[in-house]
Amino acid sequence: MDIKPILSSLRRSPTGAILVALQIALALAITVNSLYIITQRLELIGRDPGMDVKNIFFVGFVPSGDKYQGEVTMREDLAILRGLPGVLAATTVNAVPLSGGGSSTSMYTEPNEKGRRGDMNYFQVDEQGVQTFGVRLAEGRNFDATAVTKPARMSSESPSEILITKDVARDMFPGEPALGKTVYTGTSQPATVVGIIDHMHGSWPGWDKVGNVALFPVIADETFARYMVRARPGQRDEAMQMAEDALNKLDNGRVIIRVRSLEYVAASTYADDRAMATYLSVVIALLLGISALGIFGLAAFNVSTRTKQIGTRRAVGARRADILHYFLAENWLITTVGVVIGCVLALLLGYWLSTTFELPRLKLYYLVLGAVALWIVSLVAALRPARRASLVSPAIATRTV
Amino acid sequence: MFTYDLRLALDSLRRHPGLSALMVLAIALGIAVCTVTFTIYHAMSTNPIPHKSSQLYAVTLDTWSADRPYDDDKPENTPQLLTYRDATFLHEAKAAPRSVIMYKSGALLLPERSGVKPFNANLRVTSHDFFSMFDVPFQYGQGWDATADSEPQPVVVLSDETNQKVFAGENSVGRTLKLGKVEYRVAGVLQPWAPSPKFFDLNNGAFEDPEDVYVPYGWGRSLELPVYGNTNCWKAESGDTYQDFLNSECVWLQYWAELPTTADRDRFQAFVDNYARSQKAAGRMPRPLNNRLYDVGQWLDRNEVVQRDNRVLIGIALLFLGVCLVNVVGLLLAKFLNAAPLTGLRRALGASRRDIVRQHMMEVLVIGLAGGVLGLLLAIGGLAGIRAIYGSDFNRGAYQRLTEIDPVVVVVTLALALLAGAIAGLYPAWRIGRTAPAIYLKTQ
Repeated sequence: MDIKPILSSLRRSPTGAILVALQIALALAITVNSLYIITQRLELIGRDPGMDVKNIFFVGFVPSGDKYQGEVTMREDLAILRGLPGVLAATTVNAVPLSGGGSSTSMYTEPNEKGRRGDMNYFQVDEQGVQTFGVRLAEGRNFDATAVTKPARMSSESPSEILITKDVARDMFPGEPALGKTVYTGTSQPATVVGIIDHMHGSWPGWDKVGNVALFPVIADETFARYMVRARPGQRDEAMQMAEDALNKLDNGRVIIRVRSLEYVAASTYADDRAMATYLSVVIALLLGISALGIFGLAAFNVSTRTKQIGTRRAVGARRADILHYFLAENWLITTVGVVIGCVLALLLGYWLSTTFELPRLKLYYLVLGAVALWIVSLVAALRPARRASLVSPAIATRTV
Repeated sequence: MFTYDLRLALDSLRRHPGLSALMVLAIALGIAVCTVTFTIYHAMSTNPIPHKSSQLYAVTLDTWSADRPYDDDKPENTPQLLTYRDATFLHEAKAAPRSVIMYKSGALLLPERSGVKPFNANLRVTSHDFFSMFDVPFQYGQGWDATADSEPQPVVVLSDETNQKVFAGENSVGRTLKLGKVEYRVAGVLQPWAPSPKFFDLNNGAFEDPEDVYVPYGWGRSLELPVYGNTNCWKAESGDTYQDFLNSECVWLQYWAELPTTADRDRFQAFVDNYARSQKAAGRMPRPLNNRLYDVGQWLDRNEVVQRDNRVLIGIALLFLGVCLVNVVGLLLAKFLNAAPLTGLRRALGASRRDIVRQHMMEVLVIGLAGGVLGLLLAIGGLAGIRAIYGSDFNRGAYQRLTEIDPVVVVVTLALALLAGAIAGLYPAWRIGRTAPAIYLKTQ
């Protein structure tokens, strides 16, 4: 098809075309970069936390009276929870994973803070901890009930056995098996690695070492302890209600303050990221919608002002398809110019975002994706006006000359 | 003239309802996206205590490890929190006219009113100057004095919300309430008060709710109240008791000083530096001398209270508005040129070019204003949606405060809409103003 007439027509009244191209260029720059940010957030949220998030819930309690007897009371409560029909396992725990609150420590491969250091976010759980989290042991074994201790509140005493994730193992023992090795606390107390957890996320989803987790066989201090319960699949909500009722029936010197699911906690932790992803998705949708309407509006206007010319062309022998092709080609040309400028703008915007806000650099295939999306949007928007143009009757030419 | 232009504008808009609606919608969407983003940004970057923000200083000392800085990415940064030893020394030395030492804690609150369940109350364990330093407004009663801090007396100040919950909002001064095992007397009740950002303690989120109950600082030590904020340690501490924890190098306390003049500030900085030197001489504080006083504005910057996301969104929102404007320019041009024969007729009947431009600008401003109002409504809906979808028990207060539309934003929004309309309309109106009447009259 000959594009010369298109070019000469565009040269005569370039304003509309320039506006459409500019709009497409800006839309492309925004779409591509927003899309990139969205996928990053979705990847962050969609990471596998390694736990049975859907079925875990937490029961918060506070000691309140003279009847409270520390470990005895907590074990009494755990026995009640474990006896509930919908419950798979339960333990005390010092912090809630994925919540943003927790404890961390460093251990070393040699005493006196020597050797390789491993940073780990630790959870104090009893022998049912592994089962309650629903994490998979890749190697070794769980600790048994006899290893579980309850140190005094401020004690720096550390457990003799620990479980670590593969991530910690990789940091401390790169290229060699970690199972069975002895690691040392900062005060040189030894602990044996009795098991390796395949994968598990800790308390801080934003931490670059979120997978560096350790489980300690310790009954958590009541200042921070809560009960963590894993329900049978699909029975979480009933189990939560039953747990609250059952514990409230017994007055053993503690008050139950809240029962919450891990799903709720995690959703709240990721709320900002989800909000960002949704907001940007809405912006993209609106952007493409408004661009399409704008292109449609201008194209329709162009057709209506050129009705006479179209009629003349038809009268001197152009077929309907020729007219259709003419308008689509014109639209394609303008869109392509917009897309090319848009690619440059998108890269500039991406560069600005990555240098100013330390976001990762824009990946190029997003550019391709965005360009294709805009081509399609633009084509669809121009289709109806172009079809209308092709339906203009040749008789128009004779009528108004 | 004004009403005539307005009538012409409305007539013209009515003639092409679809096109007019499309333009109003384009402006409305651009404005809505900008308003939502600006509202959140505005809330994040608000100065929570404007009249005093340059007199209140967060005091920090670099007590971190010789081997690594507190913040690997910004080695010049000091820890935000202080050790018990340092904070206690600075507080007791009274080198600042007023200062406050404090931390966040919690305890079980057992209300006596029937029907109110016990709940875990967040506590601010703080010295008495907290209320006067941070201009905390009282509804009933008052705070406590210095003697109540050191030999802690069983008095508390309640937030309005707590007073509503526990005493049904009555004047509860003099009444008692049990927190954990201790019975306290209510000394004062605050007015509803939630500085945003919560500048004096950014540990648990910059926009979280303030605490439920305020208790004299000395209770922290005598009851060994737990730390609900962060406790950060850089070396292995081998303690077994609470006293060992207090003696440790772990940082967990906040310390603020009120220094009205720059002379006060310089004097206090020198005092802190001297203290740090003496500690270095005694073998502590292995890092180079680095003690920083941050006023409220600097403190909010240092803690990156305005989130990165929000700055990105501002950029994207403005670009989005740009797209909407380009869109409107195109549509206006099409619409005006479409009506050119009419304009030609008006010109022929004696309207000047300026009349034509003014008439079209009026049309554009009507579109801008309509777009602005619709955009504002969309933004209010959008912000309510964000609150409803993403608010949870943990962040409800924060999301509430961040998504509240304030008058400043409303005014700015409407001004922006009119400005946007004017910018979009300038070229099309000018262009149509240059129409030569003769061409169109010929074709009539």
